Amino acid sequence: MPRITVDGNVYEVPEGRTILQALDDVGLLMNGVTIPHYCWHPKLSIDGSCRLCQVEVEGAPKLQIACNTPVEEGMAIRTDTERVRSAREGVMELLLVNHPLDCPICDQAGECKLQDYAYEFGALQSRSREPRRALKKNVDLGPTIVFDQERCILCRRCVRFCREIPKTGELAVVNRGDSSVIETFPGIPLDNDYSMNVADICPVGALTTRDFRFKIRVWFLDEVPGVCTGCSRGCNVHLGVANNRVYRYVPRRNDEVNDTWMCDVGRLTYRAIGAADRLRIPQVRNDRGVLEDVGYREAIAAAAARLSRLLESKGPGAIAGIASPHAMNEDLFTFRRFLDALGVEAMGAAVLQGEADAILITNERAANGAGARALGFGDPAQVVARIRDGAADAAVVFGHDVIHREFLGDPAALDRLDTIVLLDSHVSPVVRSAHVILPTRVPAEKLGTLTNCDGRVQRVEPAVEPVWEALAEGEVISRLGAALGLPGFDGDWDARRVSAAMASSVPAFAGCDVESVGPSGRPLRREGEPA
Amino acid sequence: MLTVPHVTSYLTEHFADDDFGTLPGYERRGGYAAARKALTEMSPAEVIALVKDAGLQGRGGAGFSAGLKWSFMPAGTDKPKYLVCNADESEPGSFKDRILLERGGHQLLEGILCAAHATGAEKTFVYVRGEYAQPARTLSRCIDEAYEKGYLGPDVMGTGFRHDVVLQRGAGAYICGEETGLLESLGGGKGQPRKKPPFPAQYGAFGMPTTVNNVETFSHVPHIVRNGADWFRSFGTEKSPGTTLFGVSGHVVRPGLFELPLGTPLAEIVLEHAGGVPSGRSIKGVIPGGMSMPILPADQLDVPMANEFLRERKTMLGTGGVMVMDDRTCMVRVACIVTWFFRDESCGQCTQCREGTGWLNKIVRRIERGAGSSEDIDILLDVAGKMEGQTICAFADAAAWPVQGLLRHFRDDFERHVREQKCPFTESFEL
Repeated sequence: MPRITVDGNVYEVPEGRTILQALDDVGLLMNGVTIPHYCWHPKLSIDGSCRLCQVEVEGAPKLQIACNTPVEEGMAIRTDTERVRSAREGVMELLLVNHPLDCPICDQAGECKLQDYAYEFGALQSRSREPRRALKKNVDLGPTIVFDQERCILCRRCVRFCREIPKTGELAVVNRGDSSVIETFPGIPLDNDYSMNVADICPVGALTTRDFRFKIRVWFLDEVPGVCTGCSRGCNVHLGVANNRVYRYVPRRNDEVNDTWMCDVGRLTYRAIGAADRLRIPQVRNDRGVLEDVGYREAIAAAAARLSRLLESKGPGAIAGIASPHAMNEDLFTFRRFLDALGVEAMGAAVLQGEADAILITNERAANGAGARALGFGDPAQVVARIRDGAADAAVVFGHDVIHREFLGDPAALDRLDTIVLLDSHVSPVVRSAHVILPTRVPAEKLGTLTNCDGRVQRVEPAVEPVWEALAEGEVISRLGAALGLPGFDGDWDARRVSAAMASSVPAFAGCDVESVGPSGRPLRREGEPA
Repeated sequence: MLTVPHVTSYLTEHFADDDFGTLPGYERRGGYAAARKALTEMSPAEVIALVKDAGLQGRGGAGFSAGLKWSFMPAGTDKPKYLVCNADESEPGSFKDRILLERGGHQLLEGILCAAHATGAEKTFVYVRGEYAQPARTLSRCIDEAYEKGYLGPDVMGTGFRHDVVLQRGAGAYICGEETGLLESLGGGKGQPRKKPPFPAQYGAFGMPTTVNNVETFSHVPHIVRNGADWFRSFGTEKSPGTTLFGVSGHVVRPGLFELPLGTPLAEIVLEHAGGVPSGRSIKGVIPGGMSMPILPADQLDVPMANEFLRERKTMLGTGGVMVMDDRTCMVRVACIVTWFFRDESCGQCTQCREGTGWLNKIVRRIERGAGSSEDIDILLDVAGKMEGQTICAFADAAAWPVQGLLRHFRDDFERHVREQKCPFTESFEL
């Protein structure tokens, strides 16, 4: 490992890397060592064209670009000399010569690297009196991205992204000199499964997503770390929250999971959080077969009454438990304990399958399939068969994926059951058959952990308060357990405590409680691995 | 128009003979003896040592030692090695390579063969400027002749050495004359210079180890191989041996191409060989080496035309394109043309170059229009300074230097425009 000196401080950095890469590897870049940069991105090829990252390297007569200069043993770098400052100021002034400076109406304002660096490294005033470039505004590059050619500083991150990550290559720089512009090819829109990432990596307001633009000023947003629940990759995200509403997901860097990317489908799953079809009020089906709005206490009491009647008459064999891979590990752990306490053996989790790609999207359309399996909720085929052939009389059902054609198929198959206790966050056809409906929270409203496709346990924090009234599945089950008088259930459910209990009682989850997994998660312990 | 060369010429000695461009005519005058000598009597290392001893400087503008450049080619690699002949002559004021291609195709091919032997290259790509239709046709015929005779192909001159030459025509971009811009274009990409490292000797044409030399550089090589390093050093100066082709254009009586030893005083080239400016006029300034080199005023024509002397005057030999301007010339208009050219030709990758070339051009055009201020002149110098030495390739320097040169020697022209709020040079060329 070569040792380099940056502004007098000695650092040991990985070999065979360039200055920016090496500093990024050890977590120092823009976090201890300030080297501003536009075209360089940790997950894209080196471009070397913005020239903002120039530094002094001892022994080199000219300034060197930190993005492309390989580190060498004993290399001495200075990032804050008069020469470096003057070069940065020059770059900033030149970048602004043709920039429209329309920050007041630009959606990027507040999270714009051109703004930030202009304040930090630029001159106070432009000396240019010349007319600026007049180019295309408000161009649809494709279904997701809107482009402002005038604001573009031609760092070409978007061009490299399309070529290197989705490998679709829709974008290119056409023309040359100060006539250079980013363009799509005639008749070929920017349309791939990862297109919206270009808005994240665009350092300026040139590329914005149709979804988020003009919704809210970014400085009103709280950035809450979380995990995308669209598939089992569990891409790390920041939830942009204001007014108890999630306005967007943007990918949060996690080199073990999603680098700095996420897919467009996953990015838009935030819309489900506060959606109009959320289940809002607990309901119980009355004697006339009509659902009545009730409180949680009443609904849980009704569920407990129905279940104990069946337990007395037919025993635990009449009950089936269908877990949801959308629930968190803590919820599923509580559910497992609940079913064990009842003596129910028919259980499983309905994990919807989809098509995976070679980038991020996995074949499981749920965030926590691996967690469900690790907690004993396997293939639901047997449970489904029991429901279909009438062997089961009651089911406690999480979510509604079980009615998909891969599993039950026709929701009417549920109608032959005596009792369906539904715990779900959104309206679905199961509601028509359910006898007790208990609205639950979505992960953005919960504290807990999710286990991704590689068995990485990742922490989720509550970003918003649940709409209306909703409890975590774990809490509902805990109360139901208490109402049934099950041993160890007192109705008092706390995610942190449950998480700790899970980590200490399920070997796979050792060290993986919500307090211990850290911001980038921790892999499940494999069998035989020391704790 | 072809001017009969001066006495000290060897490159262009037979250029007036039409059959010199044919293989029999070239061989009758001793052609391909040097290549045969290199291939059969000399080791690659000996050829490199000879060219190093001769002190041959690259003639493409930067003046880097050709022998040293060849020695950068990696030995013992499994990858194919390539040579590239840079015939993308696009520097305004330069037209030497065109004649070397049109009249000395076999001389170039012989130089390429010597260099190929020295570097172990199996193929040479000759990248010819798109506008050079006739030179490309002529060279193409020479290549065909050489293949027919067995001087190119799988068994060069029966030695078992394989060498192919591929002619590729460009599409008319100045930046494709830049070494790595050329390599990108050759590979089918947009003509944009590559960041270094990696250097072409490691990652060049199609990702293979490559050496790029100018047409003229290759053309000197057979003469060095045939006559030796000492002979070569009998021309030119100690640090800049050999002759070169000076292309004189502008306000002179006899514009044309003159092969003269390096170190020939600029005054001799302009006044004697090119006949000076028409009577009744006087010289105002001379660009010594193509448009990207800083201009010299009339009182500095004593300078010997070799880099070691020109550097002292803050300019360089470049490609030897001497552009003469008489006393009617408006230097702000010159600046308009120069900055327009570089604005138009900048590839647009690097911030300083993309934005700086345009800004310089806008300012000088405004000054020429009579809307400039004295502050503009300072901004010109400052922006040029911020473009210099900070980009991927030397294009930004090439765009900044002429502006700096014009302001160094003709600042008064700019200040008069600002003072009078109009162009005072009524007899100057039109924009």
